[in-house]
Amino acid sequence: MPWKKLAKSDLPAFLAELSTRAELIVPQEKSGKVRFLPFDAAQPVNFPSSLVDVSLKSVFFPKRRPVATFDPADRTKLEPAAPETSPRILLGAHPCDVAAVNYVDRVFIHSSFKDPLYEAERNRTTIIGMACSEMKPECHCTDRDLSPDDERGMDAVFYETSDAYLFRALNDKGAAILKSSLLKETSEEPQKKDWPGGKYPVDPSSLPSADDSLLSPPSSLFQDIADLCLTCGACTFACPTCTCFLISDEQHEGRGERVTAWDSCQFSGYSRMTGGHNPRKTRAARVRNRMLDKFVYTVEKYGATSCVGCGRCAIICPVGRHFPKEIAELSAKAKGR
Amino acid sequence: MAVELVPRAAALRQVCDESADVKSFTFEFMDSSTLSSLPGQFVEVSLPGVGESTFAVSRLEDGGRRFHVSVKRMGHVTKALHRSAAGETIFVRGPYGKPFPVAAWKGKDILVIGGGIGLAPLRPVVDHILANRADYGKLDILFGARTPGDMIFQADLAAWGRDPGIKLVKTIDVECVDWDGCVGLLPNVVKQQAYRPDGSIAVVCGPPVMIRFTLAALRELGWPDEQVYTTLEMKMQCGIGQCGRCNIGGKYVCKDGPVFRLDQIPSVAL
Repeated sequence: MPWKKLAKSDLPAFLAELSTRAELIVPQEKSGKVRFLPFDAAQPVNFPSSLVDVSLKSVFFPKRRPVATFDPADRTKLEPAAPETSPRILLGAHPCDVAAVNYVDRVFIHSSFKDPLYEAERNRTTIIGMACSEMKPECHCTDRDLSPDDERGMDAVFYETSDAYLFRALNDKGAAILKSSLLKETSEEPQKKDWPGGKYPVDPSSLPSADDSLLSPPSSLFQDIADLCLTCGACTFACPTCTCFLISDEQHEGRGERVTAWDSCQFSGYSRMTGGHNPRKTRAARVRNRMLDKFVYTVEKYGATSCVGCGRCAIICPVGRHFPKEIAELSAKAKGR
Repeated sequence: MAVELVPRAAALRQVCDESADVKSFTFEFMDSSTLSSLPGQFVEVSLPGVGESTFAVSRLEDGGRRFHVSVKRMGHVTKALHRSAAGETIFVRGPYGKPFPVAAWKGKDILVIGGGIGLAPLRPVVDHILANRADYGKLDILFGARTPGDMIFQADLAAWGRDPGIKLVKTIDVECVDWDGCVGLLPNVVKQQAYRPDGSIAVVCGPPVMIRFTLAALRELGWPDEQVYTTLEMKMQCGIGQCGRCNIGGKYVCKDGPVFRLDQIPSVAL
């Protein structure tokens, strides 16, 4: 499909046009961080050169999501939540975040039980991705089988140049969105770059599997890390591929809702059972679970690793744990074992 | 497509006291659908506004038109269930999980070992064998509870005790007047009884510590892991392999289990 050029001065008009055609989600700043929000014409749209501060996980899988409603005074009926079908455009998602969405599809769509609410959110959304123009200090997508200009999973993509945005549709869904008089066909193409790699390489096959007897109880490798860790769960909430959730019933002002809410395998209560038994009661066991999940367990479960190299876990950690570095070191150590 | 996490309404038909803290509940779906559950599978039972918990199906009646769960009073969902009475509406989804491969056990002797409420997921195995008696060899049942009062399924125990095709052994943890069964913890009784592994299958369920030591006792008696099955105590919530909490390494207890053959369980679980 041909390249199309949007002059930077025409961006506000293009955004206004898109927002009349569908609900528009763009990166905007709120409370000091850039995050994906419903387009607000009164606020500047901020396309970071790479990595939006907050991942777009909540666009498809909100942190709190009603799956059914009930009347607290009656409690004999549970009304399933209706899937949302109105069209939506997601503009400005970077390759790592789009790769993360594709991974999450394995959990909620390509599995034995489909989640129709999640699937509806995916189906109603056209993703106009944005290639990164740089790698930030913690970015390491190139060590995770991706690159800053990876277009996989997008319906259309755009690149930023000094005075314009260059768009290209990648399928019919994307082409439909790019039909605008503000976009002009051009022979200009974005310049391809060579991206550096090798910052935090991991060889998943080198990592210990769960039934490695060396790991039961968790080895000192994990104990050293657990000694630093607060198991506050911040990394799991920042991570675009962590999707563990809790099912709970909530009641507010005469309205009852059964919701799924983000949860974290780092919390001691997460796997604690009624009666007190807890299969992962030590921090080391929980740290091991998350570290190996990203590179070993998800391969077993879904045939794919689940780290996209965004580095948000390292950025967010309040005690300076650096997961990408830790797992790369673990991989290197395990190889030498 | 239906949202799998949203359960079907079921009428609570009967509540039966099994012990001081265990009750069995008999349900029937309001829409007259059946529960096509196989031995070892589980359901998610919920009360709107209280919450949802995982329970093994402890009996099917009438081809699944009625089904039982047996519940020990422990947390807030189980307490709310214990307060429920026949006629109330309860919500159920499932069945979920891999069942015991009872069809593959045809022609074999079966040893069923249950500890406390752990007998609940095993009762459908016994029911299946009794309904297809000619397909199986000897049936041994070993049931342990803390005290005689904690012995659940009294009517079944009495019937199994009378059945000449079943060798039933009952044990309690500490000695007690008027008790004519064995006294001792299950792993020790397993060794005393010296159950032989030849061509047999053992199924084990109970509290985690009982499972661990009972499996060790069977190994001591020469049982190969390929002949021993257990159904795991690991926190399940969604039941469909999505919420994440019941994983053992790359396996989900709810989806890849809860029934596991011993050689197929990652060692970190035990």
